[in-house]
Amino acid sequence: MSSQLWALAVVGIVVLAAACLEIFRSRRARLKSVGATAEPANEPYILYFTGDGCTVCRTHQEPALARLGPVRIDKVDAIAERTLADRFHVYTLPTTVVMSPEGRALNVNYGYAAAPKLERQLAAARGARIQAATA
Amino acid sequence: MPASAPHLTSLRGGAGNYVDHSALKVNQTGIVTTVLVAFIGSALYRPLLVLIPLLAVVLLLGTFAPQLALFKQLYFKVLKPRGIVKPRRVQDRPEPHNFAQGLGGVFLAVASVFLLPVPVIGLALALLVAVLAFVNLAFGYCLGCQIYFQLGKRGLIRT
Repeated sequence: MSSQLWALAVVGIVVLAAACLEIFRSRRARLKSVGATAEPANEPYILYFTGDGCTVCRTHQEPALARLGPVRIDKVDAIAERTLADRFHVYTLPTTVVMSPEGRALNVNYGYAAAPKLERQLAAARGARIQAATA
Repeated sequence: MPASAPHLTSLRGGAGNYVDHSALKVNQTGIVTTVLVAFIGSALYRPLLVLIPLLAVVLLLGTFAPQLALFKQLYFKVLKPRGIVKPRRVQDRPEPHNFAQGLGGVFLAVASVFLLPVPVIGLALALLVAVLAFVNLAFGYCLGCQIYFQLGKRGLIRT
């Protein structure tokens, strides 16, 4: 039984270390990519990085994007458009980036981002735009 | 792409391939169950550890010859025809899933090598495969598929 307990402890430590590494990696990538630029638009929009082999993109992310109100969403193949993907430090799929109308990254979500989270980020982007216009 | 999302632009690739995700779920359930039986059962009856190398063989065979994939065949030949598990076809590619299954098989093969001389390492590796299969089963996150994406991005494999 002691082998089983030791193995359980080893796996627990590995999972914990992997979770910490993932948090560190996504924070570092987010810090580097916020402010990166893409095409300007009239309204805040979303860059949606996906790929042929991304299952979560089809089963979770795309239904969540479909639930959003009228917003421009640019779907990007992260492998075909590697330069653009590298600019936003895309290391996992899906990745969604909320862009300002000037084409600057405001929020970067690595992994699945639920519709309410994207709605909040878009609302903040629209609010910032109105504030800037009235100031 | 769902028809209810007309605002999506710049659509690229991916059309035409479908994968039955119920077959994948049955496969993942089989992996988790077998590893757990071997892991817990071996505490009481040590020969049950043989399930781990057997599972490695099943996964590796299934990666290269899908008709030999035991759990998927159980789904296609028994569970699906009898209506026990309903099919769920999703627009997807089978390659990343096959890659993930092969990776699981390799890890279990390495685990099998360690089972007798250093059982802690062997059991830990097997349990790790079960944890990742469970994460895929419950949350849809496939680590093997992400590794496949990273290798494709670096041009190490053709995606």
